[in-house]
Amino acid sequence: MKAVDDVSLRVAPGSFVSLLGPSGSGKTTTLNLIAGFITPTSGDLLIDGVSVSAIPPHKRNIGMVFQAYALFPHMTVSQNVGYPLKMRTKLSATERQDRIVEALKLVRLAGLADRFPAQLSGGQQQRVAMARALVSSPRLLLMDEPLGALDKGLREDLQLEIKEIHSKLGSTIIYVTHDQTEALTMSDFLVVMRNAKIEQIGPPQAVYENPDSVFVASFLGTANLLPLGVVGMSADRLTGRLANGEMITIPTQSASSFSSGDAACLLIRPEDVKLSPCNSGKGLSPGLRAKLVDTMFHGDHSRVTLDLAGAKFTVQLHPAQIAEFNGSGDVFISWSAERARLIPADR
Amino acid sequence: MHKTSHSFALGTSVALILAYLIFPIIVVVGISFNATTALRFPPNGWSLRWYEQLFSSSEWTGSFLISLQVGTLTMILSVLIGVPAAFALSRYKPPGRKLINALLLSALIAPPVVRALSTYLFYVPLGLNNTIIGLAIAHSVGGIPFVVINTVAGLRSFDTTLERAAIIHGAHPFIAVITITLKVIFPSIMVGAIFAFMQSLQELLISIFVLGTLGSPLAVKMWEGVRVGVDPTIAAASSMLVVLAAVVFGIVALAKLATDARGSARAGAGE
Amino acid sequence: MTVQEIDQRIRSRLVIKYNPRSFIVFLLLFPACAWMAFFYITPIAMLVYNSLAEDGLSILSKTVANPVYRSVFATTLEIGAASTLGCLLLGYPVAYALTVSRGALRGILLIIVGLPYWLDYVVRSFSWMVLLGQRGLINNFLLYIGVIDKPIQIMYTFLSVCIGMVQILLPIMILTLFAAMLRIDRRLMTAAAIHGAPPWKAFRTVFFPLSLPGVYAASLLVFISSLGFYITSALLGSPKESMISQSITLLAATLLKWSDASALSLVLLAITMAIVIVYDRVFSIDDLWGGKDA
Repeated sequence: MKAVDDVSLRVAPGSFVSLLGPSGSGKTTTLNLIAGFITPTSGDLLIDGVSVSAIPPHKRNIGMVFQAYALFPHMTVSQNVGYPLKMRTKLSATERQDRIVEALKLVRLAGLADRFPAQLSGGQQQRVAMARALVSSPRLLLMDEPLGALDKGLREDLQLEIKEIHSKLGSTIIYVTHDQTEALTMSDFLVVMRNAKIEQIGPPQAVYENPDSVFVASFLGTANLLPLGVVGMSADRLTGRLANGEMITIPTQSASSFSSGDAACLLIRPEDVKLSPCNSGKGLSPGLRAKLVDTMFHGDHSRVTLDLAGAKFTVQLHPAQIAEFNGSGDVFISWSAERARLIPADR
Repeated sequence: MHKTSHSFALGTSVALILAYLIFPIIVVVGISFNATTALRFPPNGWSLRWYEQLFSSSEWTGSFLISLQVGTLTMILSVLIGVPAAFALSRYKPPGRKLINALLLSALIAPPVVRALSTYLFYVPLGLNNTIIGLAIAHSVGGIPFVVINTVAGLRSFDTTLERAAIIHGAHPFIAVITITLKVIFPSIMVGAIFAFMQSLQELLISIFVLGTLGSPLAVKMWEGVRVGVDPTIAAASSMLVVLAAVVFGIVALAKLATDARGSARAGAGE
Repeated sequence: MTVQEIDQRIRSRLVIKYNPRSFIVFLLLFPACAWMAFFYITPIAMLVYNSLAEDGLSILSKTVANPVYRSVFATTLEIGAASTLGCLLLGYPVAYALTVSRGALRGILLIIVGLPYWLDYVVRSFSWMVLLGQRGLINNFLLYIGVIDKPIQIMYTFLSVCIGMVQILLPIMILTLFAAMLRIDRRLMTAAAIHGAPPWKAFRTVFFPLSLPGVYAASLLVFISSLGFYITSALLGSPKESMISQSITLLAATLLKWSDASALSLVLLAITMAIVIVYDRVFSIDDLWGGKDA
């Protein structure tokens, strides 16, 4: 049983990379490998082109923020933040103090230098942990689900602050999370992991719109997946048969190579679907007929659940549009062809 | 959670049992203030003469000094030997762990007379009889288990992520243990050290056998008092020890409150 | 082969054999093991060897066959058993009270339980004389209210020895039970209550069975500790209540009959170890101070 199986990753300096995946996918293990707490059974780790496999963690000049913050309870905020300076540098006390003050200003905790961690709130503790990780200007910053223990509003605030710090300092950040919204909003690059392997790497929008697999498609956002069997291919279009026998034609996409007989899924995101009620007289074309099952109000949008050829289908609408649909009955759905993607079905 | 009658029954029986536990302390303290030489309770009048006697008698102060020396040495030896062992046992889980646990536990409950006799005979060729260091070594055998038990307990509730945090930010693993771990589990080590000290103070038979002519630690002096003829001075001496224990408990309790206020580094100090 | 190549070969061999991790463990554990082995085990082993070396096993039969010593051993075990039982009956409620109390109350209770430990054994015995003696508090009270017309004999009996010993051993029983009870998930009691069990039944069917391992462990500790007692039985009991440690001390310190003393020590040790082994077979010794090793 491998915790991390044949993971290969190249991170550009100054970029914000998220390792995203469900628990047990190996993302924290990968982070610990980079930190040096675990030694790989094979392979190498290079930082700035230099192999660091033989270098112990305390010499790698990395900053790290842990899920439970791991602040030293017997030290003040100031002493916590100054710890890396004490360990790594030979600065005098006043020089250290200057750097500590700077770091605390960066995380907006200027007045709390003499408090103890237990006297701080969760969000404040998190900021201290960040200040400590950044104070010695490390070349690499590792973050292990740092916002997991905080409530939603605070999480979103801190996400913004982390991004600001990132652009201010230009450090390379590797960020582990299981929350796909967090990863999508914060990263320059996403690394989606599953079962100790990398499923897909890419910028957030690319991975969201062009997932390589059913897993990646479902993990990021809601995915409507229509199973279909490939029937025929031509230069610019592909014909497939849906589960209920209907035939559908879609423009072929670059890079995806299918042949007749393959099983595939058509991915359509809920926000790309247009709905119109069947009794409105004007059908959409091309359109498929589906049955309205349920509507849910989400505040800034509404979600409509449909039954399309026996499969569950989710559509996202502006709340004002709900009024057109009176709770049940059939609807027509359609989507713009470029917005749909064909993905190989799960093996 | 309980019917009131159940709590009442529990409360009264516990109060009675605790009264039984405390009874000797009350009597002894009472006797120590007795105006006459008899060991009477309730006392025949109140006087501080026995405490004066205690502090002015060179025999008693000599005993106290010996107990203090031996106790302190025992405490130091037990901590120096016990703390590293506790780290090894709780972190690395070496083979033979069960045997070592049994060994340490047995030292606590081994019949004192067996330990006293065997230690005395063993010390003869080594020339350790009649020495403070010899007695301290013998007492440390009983002190080390206390230090190990408490340190292991402290390590168990210690969050090792703190060490990782220290290491990744530049601390050599050994330095991380010194600057972080030992400081955080210090209360546990201290409790173990105190128990090591106190069990040395209490120990009688080994002291009798090993320290023969050099002088008598407090416990021995009180035992001899039985033979030689008693006056309430020994009650005063015992009361002082109890007061010392109460003071130490008080310090430990205060220290615990202080560290609890600083708390652990776990997330959730309230948001 | 060049010097460098030979050097490289030797280095790689050393690196393979020298596992830094086990070296650290060794370094940390060795002082404790060596210390205990040298200052604790070796003296006892030598004692055992010496007592066997002189006349071989006949010394054992001399001591064990001797009816006087046999009865002293029997008395020791009886007093031990009675004291352990007394400690259990009195200690369980206190340990339970400690478990269900919280904060300041628990702290106070702990101090009250822990304080008597530091009172010297000799002086404690005097306090029992004050209570139980012919002219002690109990007798005076009973005479005063007219229930009896001459003092009853409470001191220097089996009972007085047990009273004294239980008071000494009770804190050990209470604290060990308390540590074990802390491990019991209190929500189980709440669950029992939700499912309709009245408090006493919930206690009897949920809490008590779960506390039994702690009861066994604490009883073992207390019983074995009681075997080594001497002062209390010497001061509070008659010669009939003599315990084995008194005999050994007498033989060694006063009569200077080392080999007899060693032989008796050996038997005492053997009995103690036998009890522990039987206990381990029946109940299995966990980390007695930590439950299952985490």
